[in-house]
Amino acid sequence: MSEQKGVIFNIQRYSIDDGPGIRTIVFLKGCPLRCLWCCNPESQNLKPEISHNSNLCVKCGRCAMRCPNKAITMTENGPVINREICVSCGTCTEECYPQAIKLIGEEKTVSEIYRIVKKDEMFYRASGGGLTVSGGEPLMQVDFVEELFRLCRADRIPTAVETCGMVPRSSFEKILPLTDLFLYDIKQMDDEKHRKLTAVSNRQILSNLSWLVRHGANVLVRLPLIPGLNDSDEDMKAVAEYVQSLGLKRVELMPYHDYGSGKYSQLDREYELSELKRHEEQRVVDIHNIFENMGIKCDYIK
Amino acid sequence: MSKGVLGRELSAAEMRKLNVMTPRVAKRRAIWENENAKICPEGSILFTESWKATEGEPVDIRWAKGFANKLLKGQVTIFEDELIVGSLTKNVKGVELMTSFRPFEIQKMLKDGRFARNMSDQVAATIDEDDMKALAEETEYWVNHLPPDYINDALRKELGDQHFELMNDASCVLEGPYLRKNPERGLFADVGAWGGVLAVHEDVVDAGLGAIIKMAYDEIEKMKAEGIDFTKEGTDAYGKYNLIQAIIISCEAIVKWANRYSEEAKRLAALETNEVRKKELEKIADVCSWVPEHQPRDYWEAVQATRFLHLAVRKEQPQRPENSVGRLDRILYKYYKPDVEAGKLTRQDAAELLGCFWLKTREGEILQVQPAATRIAPGTNLPNITICGTDGNGHDETNEMSWIILEVMRQIHLSEPAVYIRYNKVMEDDFLLYALECNKDMQGGIPAFLNDEMGAERYIARGVAKEDAYNWAASGCLGYHLDCSEHTGGSMHINQAKVLELTFYDGYDPLRDVQVGIHSGDPKTFDTYEKLYDAFLKQEDFVAKALHDDYAIRWKVDREHNFQSGLGSAYLYKYTIPIGKCPTRGGCKYPNAFTGWVGDRGTTDVADCLAAVKYLVYDQKKITLEQLITAMRANWEGYEDIHQMCLKAPKYGNDDEYVDDIFKKLIFDTQRIIESRPDPFTGEKPIPFKGAASGHILHGMHVGALPNGRSRGESVNDAGTSAMPGMDVNGPTALINSSTCDNISWETFGNTHNMKFASNLFDNPEKLKLILAMVRVFFERGGWHIQFNITDSKELKEAQKDPAKWKNLMVRVGGYSAYFVDLPTSLQNEIIKRTEHTV
Repeated sequence: MSEQKGVIFNIQRYSIDDGPGIRTIVFLKGCPLRCLWCCNPESQNLKPEISHNSNLCVKCGRCAMRCPNKAITMTENGPVINREICVSCGTCTEECYPQAIKLIGEEKTVSEIYRIVKKDEMFYRASGGGLTVSGGEPLMQVDFVEELFRLCRADRIPTAVETCGMVPRSSFEKILPLTDLFLYDIKQMDDEKHRKLTAVSNRQILSNLSWLVRHGANVLVRLPLIPGLNDSDEDMKAVAEYVQSLGLKRVELMPYHDYGSGKYSQLDREYELSELKRHEEQRVVDIHNIFENMGIKCDYIK
Repeated sequence: MSKGVLGRELSAAEMRKLNVMTPRVAKRRAIWENENAKICPEGSILFTESWKATEGEPVDIRWAKGFANKLLKGQVTIFEDELIVGSLTKNVKGVELMTSFRPFEIQKMLKDGRFARNMSDQVAATIDEDDMKALAEETEYWVNHLPPDYINDALRKELGDQHFELMNDASCVLEGPYLRKNPERGLFADVGAWGGVLAVHEDVVDAGLGAIIKMAYDEIEKMKAEGIDFTKEGTDAYGKYNLIQAIIISCEAIVKWANRYSEEAKRLAALETNEVRKKELEKIADVCSWVPEHQPRDYWEAVQATRFLHLAVRKEQPQRPENSVGRLDRILYKYYKPDVEAGKLTRQDAAELLGCFWLKTREGEILQVQPAATRIAPGTNLPNITICGTDGNGHDETNEMSWIILEVMRQIHLSEPAVYIRYNKVMEDDFLLYALECNKDMQGGIPAFLNDEMGAERYIARGVAKEDAYNWAASGCLGYHLDCSEHTGGSMHINQAKVLELTFYDGYDPLRDVQVGIHSGDPKTFDTYEKLYDAFLKQEDFVAKALHDDYAIRWKVDREHNFQSGLGSAYLYKYTIPIGKCPTRGGCKYPNAFTGWVGDRGTTDVADCLAAVKYLVYDQKKITLEQLITAMRANWEGYEDIHQMCLKAPKYGNDDEYVDDIFKKLIFDTQRIIESRPDPFTGEKPIPFKGAASGHILHGMHVGALPNGRSRGESVNDAGTSAMPGMDVNGPTALINSSTCDNISWETFGNTHNMKFASNLFDNPEKLKLILAMVRVFFERGGWHIQFNITDSKELKEAQKDPAKWKNLMVRVGGYSAYFVDLPTSLQNEIIKRTEHTV
């Protein structure tokens, strides 16, 4: 039994796009980056928070009645949450039967989470899959991840981390021996642009990446492609050269999608890229060719 | 890589090189598709003609002669360009019927002008004016000449009117057709008739009917030589003698019928000016003069023999079309291989011939008499084809025909015949991936996968020898048959959702305002969950006993008055002839396999209901049982809170032990109840069975609101181990874990695991490998039957709006595939709702 706790906001089973085989993804809350295109805005804050979906709301007003801090006002359009008063206790969600108001993120122990991970053990074995931790940035809760991976190791369940890289070196040192695959994002090579897009410098990110590679980690570099923001030919060539210099043979493209845009309003936030359109398929093919022409195998999620 | 005959490659790519849709096959398919179903009373009239002429003869003989009359006098039709022949009626989409079985219903249909396969009004059956007149006359005759209603009279006498109340009107037990009251009855009860069986046996194809006829004559001679008196009605010898005579009459008629096709082909050949077609007709004439009387001399003849043997069963009893084709890859490979090795046959020609066979198998239609029009999709005939499987010693019997069969299925793209793969862990990835690819192209649940080992082991546990147990084939909507035994009918279904409803009202049926169950306790006194559960088991036991009593009386009376099928007996001749009994009465290698199949429906509903009550009333104490019952009785009106609470309560299918533990306990406990009353004829435990064919809709119509959040009249869950539509939210692996918890499939025959996937989960080889991994785990965990619907709900909604454009869209429902647009709206909505697994 491991009592180590973490803040988890979702567990997704039968995931097939984040690492090989059939995987369970455990999403941990909290991220040091603030990428403009973030499709999991509910993951950014390390603490639990309340979201509400006005489409599902039946306007019964129970959430407002139940809130011990009187942080909710009921309006014609559903609940309005005063986020300065809200402490994310989750009381408002208890009687919301349509599940319009939700608590995002809950403290769970490693044992609780591992029990769910282990349920699909047979599927991992049959498909070469396993556990992927994602987020947010899962390594912001590195002790939780370390414990969880230790249990996986004991049962020979393969492990993967989906990371932005923006964590102390020591975090990678801790989990390197327990991790079978790093899914490592590169968002932009140019540091200044990187700051604009993600609110942080990329120096530590790149340094961690090269450290991992030097220490024998199995790394797959992934590139979120955001139209007009980080996907020019120069951007791509810069990434490709860097990847080449590290001696990596393969990258994966993740073309932009806006599936997460609806979540912003549920958190009373604004999505800044609401005007952005997805790539024409040909552009993705062109980018793919840039890498392939430089001898780097390039896959993309269709 | 798999290798075929002469070491040639077997792969998806190689199969795709085959052109099944040759101009001939494409043309025949188009003609079939554009044709309206047409009622052809000819067969029925010929049966009646014979029946009138055989007054006073033993019933077995009368039945066999009626059957023979159809074959000997009915029109023999060879359609343009056909290579494989043998038609149910003179029309491509003919509906053959048997007025004597359903005179009152047909009379009513005639009166109402309702000769429509009126499921969705997409397809209607027509009838020619002359035929309509003849049918009316025929109906008139049967209405006035029916024998007494032996079965229902006996039931009423022994069990009283309240028995019908419980079983039929309150919908505690489905299969109303078997239980219907006067006057909706016919010459024989459907249940006693030959149907829903394995129609093609390998050894009958191989031996030829000639061998059976000879064996039958020899046995008669033997009886005579031994001086056995077979003239006394009611004795075993009398039964045996007449059965063997019936076998002879039936088999000789089939041989002559095939020869009539030979004559017809010769006639057409003589008229034919096109030299190529002339040769084909001459070949057909040659083939039909040889099979099915003799062992086939080549692949073509084996296919044709299979066609005749299968169709003959359908001709004998057209009201019950569910006759399976059996292990077609095994049957045909024996002839395919030497022909290919000798250079006499190409893969391409074999595929085209099989394509011709495929269309013939799909041709006939059945008469939909049920006005409720919610039960089965139109055109559901269930001529199941089974492929693959092992011999029990780990040897995979998948062969080149298995591959070709899948490709023929894929290219012809019809909902029937459905293909069932006997999955075994020793099977190669490449074949299974190819099967999933075909599944993707077919969309609707074919091929389906069954557990090879479990199918056999269940019978081994019942005393069947290994080599016999491993020779099984899928049959009916969700059943399967051993090659050497038979168990027709006897399949009835307890509506567990209704039984649970009665439990909440102490045996009272609130929908019909009458006490139908026993007094299982006032719910006010249920201060623990266990008391409620015990009360439910008491009601279940009460209904199970009524069902058992019904079964015992029904079959006893049925045996006294019903015929033994000469044809069904012929196909299991090795046993029926020496024993002198029809397979359903003990004339088979394992007579105890005749043991009744007792099914239940709504087990998932009940598990979800019990979980909701346990959670809300007893564990969380959010509401009282009385409050809950009040809300249910109001059909949730004015109680939306409680309704929502119920909907949100834990649900089966999410890998949640809270519900899954209730589910498996429920399965085991109710099965113990059913098994506690041995079959009165064999003394064996009845076989617990989860039926399908959309009976869940009819069952649900008679059930009120329940704690799982259902409202009055909604359908109960379809067969087996699928989650309630829309209630599984943790993805496919969670659903599989729930449905295979604690080896529940071992206990229940026929439970299906339906999964619906968006097509994007099947759209590349890497993803298919993951689906295959899931299939392998499903079986490793002891699953029985898994099938995938591959569609987007967006597509389905579009299809609902514009059916004409989506005629081809296939879905899988319970135990069969159907065109989505042919389904009733309620069923369409249900399929859309059923959780679509996307990522």
